[in-house]
Amino acid sequence: MAAEKKKAEQKANTQILRRTLFLLVVCGILAFIVMAAHLYKVQVRDHEYYEQKAIEQQLRQTTISASRGTIYDANMKVLAMSASVETVYISPAELKMYKEDPEFIARNLSSILGVGYDDIMKKWQDTGSWYKTVAVKIEQDVADKVRKFKNDNKIKSVHLETDTKRYYPYSSLASQVLGFVGTENTGLEGIESRYNDYLKGTSGRIVRAATSNGTDMLYTKFENYVDAKNGNSVVLTIDSNIQYYLEKHIEQAIKDYAILNGGMGIVMNVKTGAVLGMATLENYNPNNYKEISQKAKEKLAGKTGDDYLKALSEAQISQWRNRAISDTYEPGSTFKTFTLAIALEEGLVNEKSNFYCGGTVSVPGRDTPVHCWKSAGHGNQTLAEAVQHSCNVAFVNIGLKIGAKKFYDYMDAFGFFDRSGIDLYGEGESLWWDKGVFENPKNLSQLAAASFGQTFNITPLQLITGVSCVANGGKLMKPYVVSKILDPAGNVIKANEPKMERQVISEETSKKVCAILETVVNGGESTGANAYVAGYRIAGKTATSEKIGQGSNDYIVSFVGIAPADDPQIAVLVILDTPDPKTGIYISGGIMAAPAVGKIFADVLPYIGVEPVYSEKELATINATVPYVKNMSVDEASKQLKDKGFDVRVVGSGATVTDQIPAANITVIKGTQVIIYAGDAKPSSMVSVPNLYRKTYSQAKSALEAAGLYMRTSGVAASSSSTIVVSNQSVSSGSSVPLGTVVEVTLIQSDTSVMETRG
Amino acid sequence: MAPQYGGASAKAAEMNSLSDVGSGLLERTKGRKLFRVGSVDIPFLMLTMIILGIGLIMVLSASFARAYYETGNPTKYFVKQLLFSGAGVIAMLAISRVELSFISRFSFPLLGVSIILLAIVPIIGVSKGDATRWIDLKVTTFQPSELAKLAVILSFASLSCKTKEKMKTFRYGILPFGIILAVIVGLLMLEPHISASIIIIAIGAIMMFLGGAEIKWFVMLGVFVGAAGALILAKFGYAIDRIKIWQDPFSDPLGKGFQIIQSLYAIGSGGLLGVGLGQSRQKYLYLPEEHNDYIFSIVCEELGYIGAILILTLFALLIIRGFWIAMHAKNRYSTMVAAGLTALLFLQVFFNVAVVTNLIPCTGISLPFFSYGGTALMLQLAEMGIVLGISREIPIKRAG
Repeated sequence: MAAEKKKAEQKANTQILRRTLFLLVVCGILAFIVMAAHLYKVQVRDHEYYEQKAIEQQLRQTTISASRGTIYDANMKVLAMSASVETVYISPAELKMYKEDPEFIARNLSSILGVGYDDIMKKWQDTGSWYKTVAVKIEQDVADKVRKFKNDNKIKSVHLETDTKRYYPYSSLASQVLGFVGTENTGLEGIESRYNDYLKGTSGRIVRAATSNGTDMLYTKFENYVDAKNGNSVVLTIDSNIQYYLEKHIEQAIKDYAILNGGMGIVMNVKTGAVLGMATLENYNPNNYKEISQKAKEKLAGKTGDDYLKALSEAQISQWRNRAISDTYEPGSTFKTFTLAIALEEGLVNEKSNFYCGGTVSVPGRDTPVHCWKSAGHGNQTLAEAVQHSCNVAFVNIGLKIGAKKFYDYMDAFGFFDRSGIDLYGEGESLWWDKGVFENPKNLSQLAAASFGQTFNITPLQLITGVSCVANGGKLMKPYVVSKILDPAGNVIKANEPKMERQVISEETSKKVCAILETVVNGGESTGANAYVAGYRIAGKTATSEKIGQGSNDYIVSFVGIAPADDPQIAVLVILDTPDPKTGIYISGGIMAAPAVGKIFADVLPYIGVEPVYSEKELATINATVPYVKNMSVDEASKQLKDKGFDVRVVGSGATVTDQIPAANITVIKGTQVIIYAGDAKPSSMVSVPNLYRKTYSQAKSALEAAGLYMRTSGVAASSSSTIVVSNQSVSSGSSVPLGTVVEVTLIQSDTSVMETRG
Repeated sequence: MAPQYGGASAKAAEMNSLSDVGSGLLERTKGRKLFRVGSVDIPFLMLTMIILGIGLIMVLSASFARAYYETGNPTKYFVKQLLFSGAGVIAMLAISRVELSFISRFSFPLLGVSIILLAIVPIIGVSKGDATRWIDLKVTTFQPSELAKLAVILSFASLSCKTKEKMKTFRYGILPFGIILAVIVGLLMLEPHISASIIIIAIGAIMMFLGGAEIKWFVMLGVFVGAAGALILAKFGYAIDRIKIWQDPFSDPLGKGFQIIQSLYAIGSGGLLGVGLGQSRQKYLYLPEEHNDYIFSIVCEELGYIGAILILTLFALLIIRGFWIAMHAKNRYSTMVAAGLTALLFLQVFFNVAVVTNLIPCTGISLPFFSYGGTALMLQLAEMGIVLGISREIPIKRAG
């Protein structure tokens, strides 16, 4: 029994040992092999996958924004620049963590930033957030106030972040050329868009390891700093002064002639193709590019909801459009320049050629004859007279002489079929007849119309580029607006050299065309007379064209001028879209666009250093500046004034000059009588300005003299011609002004019989 | 190696206890058979101390960031853990002196206390998240489930030693154990505490296995659990969040999958050689519970696969040595207690590592000697003390 029990016990003991050994093997060895194998899978085999994922969440990247490059004009005046601004944001999570007073912070931020107190309080409620923006693009001084508040009160839940803001110091000047910058430092229009890659720079970044709360890890130095690379600067060929003159005179013309759809203008260096000025009016302020004009706002009145938003967006897109390169139009008579140039180049006409205009000309393939704008006809004319008269009949005949194929080939050579390739986005595409249609020998009506600039569309840029080619000796230049690109240190990294596309006409032909076009302006009786500027030789051509597909009362009037005519340097094109017929002013390029181009030349030519050379006739009527003669002896003062071409009248009997009328530095017509006071007091009476409208030069001058006022002129050459009259006076009639005030009058050629309408 | 049951060489053990501190004191009390003499098992002690030391260093490293960001004192958790481990080592050495027969007297009272505490936890306990598992002891918290594990080992050993050959029957070998387990697991479900339930069931089963229960019951249980598990998986499978997250943690990366994903990122980042001690990036508030249940992930990240394997090897050696002690214990009861405590250690290590590496679905189990937690660590060391006490009964073999 005992032995049996002992045996059973031994058996049980053996069993427990076996079972313990089993556990030892399973728990101590096998299970660990399983764990090691599985761990190997996660830790070694999938190491890269998990490490990558872990790094993604552990690294925080902070962007350091690069400063966008500056846009300079040709004289290194700043047209667009970036300045640092800051963003203020709050961190509700930190507010909670550091137990800061939300109301206190909100109250202070609200008063510093002008942000609503309730808005800030609302943002605090998102307690899980580390980033809630309170104010963006705030100026440095305001940011400093926030910083001071933060430091003074040791506040941890308010943060500042640096960003940049774009400034355009000249606000709307050249706005469509410059464009603007949207969010994320991306240029959206104009130079800002076209040269974005150069301007934007490369933003830098700080990569660092962070805790899941975004704070720095302790003792773990992992930081990678990549410095921001500031953007390069762009130097334009555009000269802000020339741009200013261009915009000013187009704006004035829009006002004077009630132009309904704005205007465009380009000033080009004919020798290089560099654009010196390019304007589209109305323009906008790139500092606030979403703001639309008052006129556009009126059109939006009454619209609501989606209609309003759609109309607003259309108004914005339309004001941003650089129409001088994007719009196409039917150029009309300015295009006769090219017909003339081709015919002269091909030897088909010469200065002695005669053209008869009976008012109509029939063209093969056309049922009805082509009418000249002057239905009575121009009669017998020389080539120059045909150009001066802008005679359609003569030009149809010239065009037919050239022939469709040759004409079409020249159009290609002048670059009218292709985009000019200017360094701006959004260049429009011209619209032409197909070669087959145009060159159909049975139907020459397309050729006939094209000869005087109709039935096709080109951009203003294409026209002035072609005119520059005609003016500069026949070289077609590629237009450009950027002269060079500078790195942040100011070194030139890229320069745009003038690029000649091809020689289109000979130098000789170029000279001949310029000479003929000069007679259009200085002829006095011809269509371009109003572009005249005393002392300068200006060549040019007018145009008045009907807008295709619109009511017959809608016209585009334009003028393209070249100066100086004997050695062309610049070309100016002004286009005015749709003068309001209700004003009663005769709608014509010669009446409306030519004076604007004349004024632009009058400002720009002296500015670029072209010295005026006056003819004797001009010398009699040109303006001169009154010198400062006060405190001089009467004799000395008289001598100086006489040397400058002024008459002198002395009032009083003193030996020294005590006062003078007009005051020093005022420009008046030469020969004006200057009164110097020697001891006697200058009278301070006020006089009323007479109405000078439609008065001739001499009538206006005597009217002003009678009132004790002085006259200065601008516009066409002052002459005794009865058709040259005052169109505008700088001080409106009836105003009360001090005795001796200078009134500027604008003279125009008012003979509408010489002003073409359509053609 | 022959079994050395019986007090054959009490004298030899006594002679070899000269190196023991305070042996003089013990000699005076040895007559009462309350305190043991004899040498502890040095390998087991050394392995325990080495693992404890590494564990402490890792608590410092893993808890540093969270302690800094959340309390401002980066060594807060470490210092607390250090104090508890000091107290725990003292307790371990003290308990290794206590006669197992004396401890065995507390088997059933301990079981009773455990059950009472488990019953009142849902009422007076403190909650973390959805579970109420802790009793607040002011200085620290305490999980009665930890005590229940020890109670199950001790009481099951006692019970099976009394039952002996009747263990083969269902009535004596299965039923009483089953009832105890059912009560404990039932109470744990009220907390709820799935991981503790699994450990208790597993350790209960191991004790019954050691006690001599018929293999067929385990086979039957295995088949039943396997079939039920397969059925649940097949029927609800993906509908059970835990399973869904286990199979594809990225199905809810910011929600239920967040913790395991962060754990995998940490382990995966470590690679073969690790990012270096103290250099973990995942501990910077990415990985939740980084110094508690998920401390092993930080170990893997910082020390790499090599470091992790080294630590697992130390655990494996400790476990093997624990079973070795069990096999050499002087009697059946000692064998069962030593093997049970070693098995418990194994279960904790295995489930912890398996969870953090996503080998099994996510649940909360701490890693012995590593995870932060004062009472658990002290209890762990006390349990090691019991094993060491058992090791004192093993006579040193003389060379030759």
